[in-house]
Amino acid sequence: MITLDGVTVRYADSPVAVLDDVTLHIPEGDLALVAGQTGSGKSTLLGCLTNLVPRFTGGHRTGRVVLDGTDITSAAPRELADLIGYVGQNPLAGFVTDTVESELAFGMEQLGVDPSRMRVRVEEVLDLLGITDLRRRALRTLSGGQQQRVAIASVLTARPRVLVLDEPTSALDPVAAEDVVSLLSRLVHDLGLTVVMAEHRMERVVEFCDRVILVSRGSVRSGEPREMLSVSPVAPPLVELGRRSGWSPLPLTIRDGRRTARAERTAWREHPPVLGTLAAATGEGLVADGVVVSYGSLVAVRGATLTAGAGLVTALVGRNGCGKSSLLWAVQGSGSRKAGRITIDGMPAVPGDVALVPQTASDVLYLPTVAEELALADADADRSAGSAGRILDELVDGVERDQHPRDLSEGQKLALVLAVQLVREPRVVLLDEPTRGLDYAGKAALTRILRGQADAGRTVVIATHDAEFVAATCDRVVVMAEGEIVDDGPARDIITSSAMLATQCARVYAPVELLTVAEVLTARAAS
Amino acid sequence: MTAGAELDVSPPEVSVRIGARSGAILALASLAGLLLFAWPLLVPSPTGWAETQGAPVVFAALVPVIVVIVLSQLSDGGMDTRTLALLGVLTAINAALRPALGAGTAGIEFMFVLLILAGRAFGPGFGFVLGATSMATSALFTAGVGPWLPFQMLAAGWVGLGAGLLPGKARGRATVGHLAMLVGYGIAAAYLYGAIMNLWSWPTLTGIATADYGGPAGGLDYVPGAPWLDNLRRFGLYTLLTSTAGWDTGRAVSTSIGLVVLGRPILDVLHRAARRARLS
Amino acid sequence: MVHRTVDRASTIGLGEGSDEGSAPRRRENLLARPRPPKVAAVSSAVASVRSGWAVYRLPRSLHPVAWWLWALGIMTAASLTTNPLVEGLLLAAATFVVVSRRDDGPWARSFRLYAILGAAVFVVRILYRIVFGGGDGDHVLFTLPRIPLPSVVAGVRLLGPVSLESILYGAYDGLQLGTIIVVVGAANSLASPRRLLRSLPAALYEIGTVLVVAVTVFPQLAESAARVARARRLRQSSAQARSWRERSRLVRGLVVPVLADALDSAISLAASMDARGFGRAPAGSRRHRVMAALTAFASVGCLMVFAYDLVSGTLPSVALGSVVTVHLRDALLVAGVLAALLSIRLSGHGVRRSRYRPDRWLLPELLTVACGFAPVAAVAAVGAGPDAAALSPAILPTLDIPTLPLPLLVAAVVALLPSAITPPAPVATSEATA
Repeated sequence: MITLDGVTVRYADSPVAVLDDVTLHIPEGDLALVAGQTGSGKSTLLGCLTNLVPRFTGGHRTGRVVLDGTDITSAAPRELADLIGYVGQNPLAGFVTDTVESELAFGMEQLGVDPSRMRVRVEEVLDLLGITDLRRRALRTLSGGQQQRVAIASVLTARPRVLVLDEPTSALDPVAAEDVVSLLSRLVHDLGLTVVMAEHRMERVVEFCDRVILVSRGSVRSGEPREMLSVSPVAPPLVELGRRSGWSPLPLTIRDGRRTARAERTAWREHPPVLGTLAAATGEGLVADGVVVSYGSLVAVRGATLTAGAGLVTALVGRNGCGKSSLLWAVQGSGSRKAGRITIDGMPAVPGDVALVPQTASDVLYLPTVAEELALADADADRSAGSAGRILDELVDGVERDQHPRDLSEGQKLALVLAVQLVREPRVVLLDEPTRGLDYAGKAALTRILRGQADAGRTVVIATHDAEFVAATCDRVVVMAEGEIVDDGPARDIITSSAMLATQCARVYAPVELLTVAEVLTARAAS
Repeated sequence: MTAGAELDVSPPEVSVRIGARSGAILALASLAGLLLFAWPLLVPSPTGWAETQGAPVVFAALVPVIVVIVLSQLSDGGMDTRTLALLGVLTAINAALRPALGAGTAGIEFMFVLLILAGRAFGPGFGFVLGATSMATSALFTAGVGPWLPFQMLAAGWVGLGAGLLPGKARGRATVGHLAMLVGYGIAAAYLYGAIMNLWSWPTLTGIATADYGGPAGGLDYVPGAPWLDNLRRFGLYTLLTSTAGWDTGRAVSTSIGLVVLGRPILDVLHRAARRARLS
Repeated sequence: MVHRTVDRASTIGLGEGSDEGSAPRRRENLLARPRPPKVAAVSSAVASVRSGWAVYRLPRSLHPVAWWLWALGIMTAASLTTNPLVEGLLLAAATFVVVSRRDDGPWARSFRLYAILGAAVFVVRILYRIVFGGGDGDHVLFTLPRIPLPSVVAGVRLLGPVSLESILYGAYDGLQLGTIIVVVGAANSLASPRRLLRSLPAALYEIGTVLVVAVTVFPQLAESAARVARARRLRQSSAQARSWRERSRLVRGLVVPVLADALDSAISLAASMDARGFGRAPAGSRRHRVMAALTAFASVGCLMVFAYDLVSGTLPSVALGSVVTVHLRDALLVAGVLAALLSIRLSGHGVRRSRYRPDRWLLPELLTVACGFAPVAAVAAVGAGPDAAALSPAILPTLDIPTLPLPLLVAAVVALLPSAITPPAPVATSEATA
């Protein structure tokens, strides 16, 4: 369907080739997953398919792009609108109009589709994607999963033959993500659409995809999922486990994994492996008692009581919109709070005690260079010059001081926002959805950072719905639903007993309570 | 399998191009617009006036035609999406910056800051269009659609246009001198905008002294056919009494403070966004 | 449920490129707008009329341009008379139509603001007469202490006696201006600007899209600002100095992230628009563009000379033959407007864009426009007749009591008719307007 032939891309601001002599073929009707570490050129590769790179971004590209036998190398992106549909990372930012129906029609209006035919196609696509009940809704009021589906619908009305998506599930909670992925899989199977998507959370997609395209430092390899994943620098935990265990064929689904691990599981069921002991709290830590947050008539947090011991990392989990963010902001003190008392180690919290990394980390950054941000943090906290810089270096290596904060990678941004707040030596650190946009390496680095903070005696609370990250990082898990805390306990108990939160390893070895690849390997070494 | 095509696309640029044709039309339309603003000073004799008392109404109908023609010519030949999207977003911000009750001729507070900076960063054509669309959008949000709107669109368009035409290079870090020039321009623009909108509303709001109604002979009313200096004096008093101390000065002060505090960071942000190459 | 949609999907051949099979065509017919059943039409004329009326009355939004033209007619009539009775009637008619035909969109609520503005203008004009000398005429109502002014402003009278005549003069003019403002407000709240933007000619498509984007982004800005304002508190300086420097920093910490965020999303939006085919319609041939520019130039030129002549009156009339005399000024106006229309038409030439569910122009639209222009016709008729003086009741030298000629009363009632003869506004779902 799509063939890239010797494609090399350089952007104007740097002499390094982002893609270097890439040759690639994606057959018709494939669901292809583009995988690779952050900054490896995934987005650029997708951009080459739509010709947004370099037509929209500027830059230098050589090589040919062929779509279904037609050379589209020099076609403008808009000429491809009825051949290739493109859905960017943030669906809301890509919406031109304000209601679902008019958004679905926008692309067709540009193509000059006849009004009566347009009407028919809108109805068809509304049905096809199961969003008929949303047709008159304002786009802004939709949930993330609904927005993503509308974004897909709005490009499908132009009847493209290829759909290109950049991280379609990265901002979604697991349930919404599953919806979107199965929708895409259905489009491939029922309509013969060719889908190319980039995704960090590979575990969500890998079982549905026909082809994996690995991007690594500008070069690209593609092939069968098993074959590619066995050599991929990034891989979901189940694949990681299979690779470390030398399983062949490599399991891609939980079912495959369970079958392969049956013998081991049975053995461990009879002789449970010795698991590491739980870290103990070094102090009372944070106690937020009876917190109520409401916006007008909408109650976001309904008298929740959150406790998080010092020296521990506590996860706050729950679906999007359950009040996690509101609770964190209320605890920090910057958000609204109608009722509730916050104490830290038994003392009422004072400003500066609690640091918070917001969901959009860049909200906090507004100076043109990293160095200026760090200097300002030092001055604000009355610390000697360079204090925040030292903290930043401890957190991550190699953040150039003269870079623009908005040019940093997601992980570096998180570290910078953390550093400018840690310089005040807070006793509690809160993070709101920190793993969004991080690849596996980024998450591992964040785990190391947060464990380090906990070991230093701080109380760390993370709001997230990333089960694998919780398993690797957290000691305790607090579950929220509809503004209330519905469960609270040691991470292992909660994760293994929950269907939604269970990690891939937990599912493979259930009822044996093993959460991560590292734990399985330790258990093996011990037995 | 040959190397195939080679695409070399220069870094994206945000601007509304003013070519020879659209430039000529913009110039002529600005002249016409000036005439439509300043007509009270140009009436040579009361006799001609007597039969054309409907002039303000007719002019209020002509200005929209002229604004529409200029805008259609400036966007003729297609606007690229980056320019269009930035125009849309900056327009929304400007509309949000305008105080809720900015209807009629009332003051525009911080709107000029972004208008001037965007005109500076993206050129005169962009500035003109942004001024016009900002006024139109803020009118939609604040019940400001009315006969005055096309005049405001034209006047605000001129403010953006002028910012783009200022000397000095627009790229790179703004120097202190550069900022000082922008502040000076901002103050001048604030007063001139106020004065020219007053010139429009003056005959309408005070009434026109005509033969039927003598009016207080030396009041602040517009007297058709009186020597233009005489009318200018009346107008000067009118604008001094009604606006200079209040809205206009408020606007000049807020614009210059905004430019001093935010000028450099906003210019940085604008340049960065315009050149951002990578897809996120 | 899933199975059903899947089956349906597989029959429509999505992904088969742009070829349109016969299946979609058949479905188009099913979805065509409801027509009166044929049987009824044949069997009984009464039933046919009734069902026709039922279709006519189906709730829908009137074409936005129809409301604006209706308002334009009323405004024109209002500007041609100072008779307070006529103004009052027109004001009442417009208000009544708004109350009965506006929908529940956010713009419908703006009418109140226009009413306030209109009232304010009315009051200001009267106050102006009181403050700057309102002593003309015989009926002095009261006398305020006159404030002496320096000689520089010689001639300006501040306060002093206030007469009924000068107040009436201000009131008549103020009512006229106020009526015009309220009628503009009526058009605004009856025709959603968003739908009006969709009716723009092709030549203004880009500018229209800028406005659409602005209107769409607007509410997101408030959310973004609230988010950043909250985040900013995370880094407040420990020294809560309210110095100049500190304040400027606070502003910067709010403005820069909000702006950077908004501009970043603008770039994403631009990419999305590009990929979805925006601007794909050909821009028209060079010849057309040159022609459009030339006509635009000619139009602005004509209108400019016309405007100058309107205030200075120097152009002569030209006799064409022995019967027809054309005033050059009028000819310029006609030429200017025609050239403008031609230019806009030429700029949009060759554009192959289409409209989803375009607003249709049917009988109710036509009737509404006709109702709006009835007052203009009435004013013109009265102005040419014996009652011409009723259009502008005299204040000086003699104070006339305003009268209301019958045609004007009838015209005001006709202007009110759209509140009954147009289809009612559709009831929007609350989410759509949220």
